[in-house]
Amino acid sequence: MQRRDARLGLLYSAPLSLFLLLTFLAPILLVAAFSTMPEKVFNLSQAPDFSAYRTVLAQGYWKSVAWSLFMALAATLILLVVCWPLAYGMAKVFKRFTLVLTIGVVMTLFVSENIRLFGWVLTLMKGGLIEGYWRHWTGTGFDAPLYNGPIIVFGLVYVYLPFMLFPLAQGISMVPDDARQAAYDLGATRWQILREIDLPLAMPGIMVGSLLTFVLAAGAMAESKLLGGRAIITIADEVQTAFTYGQNWPLGAALAMVLIAIIGTVAIWAISKADLDKMMGGKS
Amino acid sequence: MTDASQPILRINALTKRFDDFTALHGVDLNVAEGEFLAIVGPSGSGKTTLIRILVGMDELSDGAVWLRNTRIDVVPANKRPTCMVFQSLALFPHRTVGQNIEFPLKLRKVPPAERKARALELLDTLRLPRDYYDKRIQQCSGGEKQRVALARALAFDPEILFFDEPLSALDYRLRKTLEKELKDLHRRTGKTFIYITHSLEEAMVMSDRIAIMKAGRFEQIAPAEEIYARPVSKFVAEFMGEVNFFDLRNGQAEGLLMTPETAAALAGRSGTLTIRPESLRTLPEGQAADLTFEGEIVAEYLLGSRMQYRMMLATGQEMIVEVLRENGVAGGIGAALRVGCDLSAAHLIEEARDAAA
Amino acid sequence: MKTSRFATFLLVLYGLLILGFLYLPLVSVGLASISKARYLSFPIRKYAYGWYEEALTSDTVRDLLVVSLKVAGVVTILSMIIGFFGALAFARYNWRFRKTYQKLILLPIFFPQTVLGLALLMWFNALGIIPSWKTAIVAHLVWIAPIATLVVSIRAFSFDAALEEAARDMGANQWQTLREVTIPLLMPGVTSAGLFAFLLSWGNFPLSLFSTGADSTLPEWLFAKMVSGYSPLVPTVGTLTVATSAILVILALLLAWAIRKLRPAT
Repeated sequence: MQRRDARLGLLYSAPLSLFLLLTFLAPILLVAAFSTMPEKVFNLSQAPDFSAYRTVLAQGYWKSVAWSLFMALAATLILLVVCWPLAYGMAKVFKRFTLVLTIGVVMTLFVSENIRLFGWVLTLMKGGLIEGYWRHWTGTGFDAPLYNGPIIVFGLVYVYLPFMLFPLAQGISMVPDDARQAAYDLGATRWQILREIDLPLAMPGIMVGSLLTFVLAAGAMAESKLLGGRAIITIADEVQTAFTYGQNWPLGAALAMVLIAIIGTVAIWAISKADLDKMMGGKS
Repeated sequence: MTDASQPILRINALTKRFDDFTALHGVDLNVAEGEFLAIVGPSGSGKTTLIRILVGMDELSDGAVWLRNTRIDVVPANKRPTCMVFQSLALFPHRTVGQNIEFPLKLRKVPPAERKARALELLDTLRLPRDYYDKRIQQCSGGEKQRVALARALAFDPEILFFDEPLSALDYRLRKTLEKELKDLHRRTGKTFIYITHSLEEAMVMSDRIAIMKAGRFEQIAPAEEIYARPVSKFVAEFMGEVNFFDLRNGQAEGLLMTPETAAALAGRSGTLTIRPESLRTLPEGQAADLTFEGEIVAEYLLGSRMQYRMMLATGQEMIVEVLRENGVAGGIGAALRVGCDLSAAHLIEEARDAAA
Repeated sequence: MKTSRFATFLLVLYGLLILGFLYLPLVSVGLASISKARYLSFPIRKYAYGWYEEALTSDTVRDLLVVSLKVAGVVTILSMIIGFFGALAFARYNWRFRKTYQKLILLPIFFPQTVLGLALLMWFNALGIIPSWKTAIVAHLVWIAPIATLVVSIRAFSFDAALEEAARDMGANQWQTLREVTIPLLMPGVTSAGLFAFLLSWGNFPLSLFSTGADSTLPEWLFAKMVSGYSPLVPTVGTLTVATSAILVILALLLAWAIRKLRPAT
């Protein structure tokens, strides 16, 4: 049976593995190759000179990198606080409501990010859902809270909420009830239970949720474009600009490599720590 | 020790109702200071509900619980001076043995050095090596985990220590060892232990008194010998082990041969006569005991040093007989058997009492 | 230790608040789609359904719809097939590189989709393939096939290996085992994976942006209109795409519910 497992495992993994090899790994290698080319060429026939990386360093692109990472971090921390009580409720308190919440939250994932962010523009703009009705009822209006830095973070919080909520709920559900009860019985207050039992035991979920959110938010750009009015240009946006308007593939590739390096490091580190069998309810 | 005549725990008409059924029907119980009380009952009898209410994990619907002069059922579990050893032990998997034991002390902000000293002391008390202090919980064996859980509970220094079947998951031999250790620990610490179990054997080995629960009520609360010898109901009698019942009507019972003295003693009485299989002895031809039974062997089993027979009486009733192997009878299945016992070995559950229970 | 009724009530309230927060922008879009005015301003003074009529009869919208449906349809079918086998390798069989495989297929999910789209554009260019709705299928699959695999894996993890062994013990060959035991047992997982694949492809924008070439999907068109100035058709078409997803999910939930209800009776 073991030999059969080994054979079938390898056989059945082949379609997906081969597909990703050709459509994920190969393109990334191509980007890596392009990033070493002299600027503004459209083929790989030149000798590598790494000039694009010099441009990345010299032209202040690091600011976009720093802003993207900072906003991703801010969104992650806010989401951690916002999602914890709800995740706790889903894992330990609610019964049927957990299902309602799960379906409700998952359904938003199927709606294009653009439409949802555009909806926020309609909600928050001057003459939008909130300001419009406010002015209608009170007679005084206010400026739209759009097109600035904080609203981009708000957008990130909005879009990536499910990616924090579900891992967190999964993490909290793995905290054994009897450990919490024993701590309570031994005299722990609610706050002490949170600090001594819940947080350390839910740590896998906290880590997965935080890293997932962080990685996705660091590579985002729709929030900045639609809500932020590009008040802050994100690194993903810079990549796109270099490829399209800039017509500078090597620069775009070099910027992409910076982003890939940061995200790849975090993602690979996180994934290597996770025991997927256990997290998905299998035997480990 | 405070006034010995005052119970440490008093339970007063405690009732617990769930949505569609009542788990506890107004139970009363007094527990003496330093006592080892076992609460025994089949699953679903309400014993787990009771202990969860006593430690504060669940709320009662009616009644009151007093710890000496303080009413504690209104106090949240983390403010009660009692604690419980969980069935699952509930050791914190992310903490070491030492950190688990120190947990209640850490909550009380005891300085680290003092905490550690106390934890090491408790490792000694539980006969665990001191270098277990830094061991991870996952590295401990079943019996070691058991001891760590006990050490943690003792570090809390509770007024009453509750146990929710902590030994039920262990294998037979380890359970026997830990039962004796627990009894020994009880003697050394002088604390009040309240122990929930479905195993009567466990309760008899360890406890001073046994409370038998059935369907949310206490059936009988008494020392083990008394429950064994004088059960108040057929339920208790059967729960304590194999037993033979004879329906007694006005001093008469079918299939039962009595001496004139016995007949006089039982005259006019009704109820269920209970006779333990091991209080019967084989009788030679012509000899009679206070109570004598005659029948035919339908099955025999060898139980180590004892023999057990199933015997069919002339009335068609089956009866279980247990005798030492050397007193067994030759002939096997189909052979005639004559057994008897003294009247003092039989116990009569009077009609009225059984009906009331 | 039980959470008090009041605390439970507060938590439920909080949950409803979060749901409200998640759906509020969609409410705005929905309301905007039935505003008669060409330039939207709340409160809406006059309601009209004319934009729907215009959207439904528009040739542009029909072309977009066809492209979106073609892409999502093919992605769905391929995801179900790849996901089925991928999940068996992910969860069911113990083989040497399983742990590595499990981790590697997660990487595309984490990867920034815009960058992935651009990388694929360069790759197609290097291979001499002209981007069209067909290349968009590939782009979508890079992200969706791993997700479909995970969805089927959840089911595959609870799969009792003894069932396959029993079938083989009774003389079934590999294909018969697959057909008689494995596929029927994993079918609910494969169906959900298909639903996920369709919905994710249907709503995807960043991967389509660079991979569709001259073709365009609905989300792409919507984005172009959003950044180039307001068009009253944007909320209308947006609402229609959201409604399509919602109806699909509701149908799927109803179907799942009906199957669960009917099964014990038969």
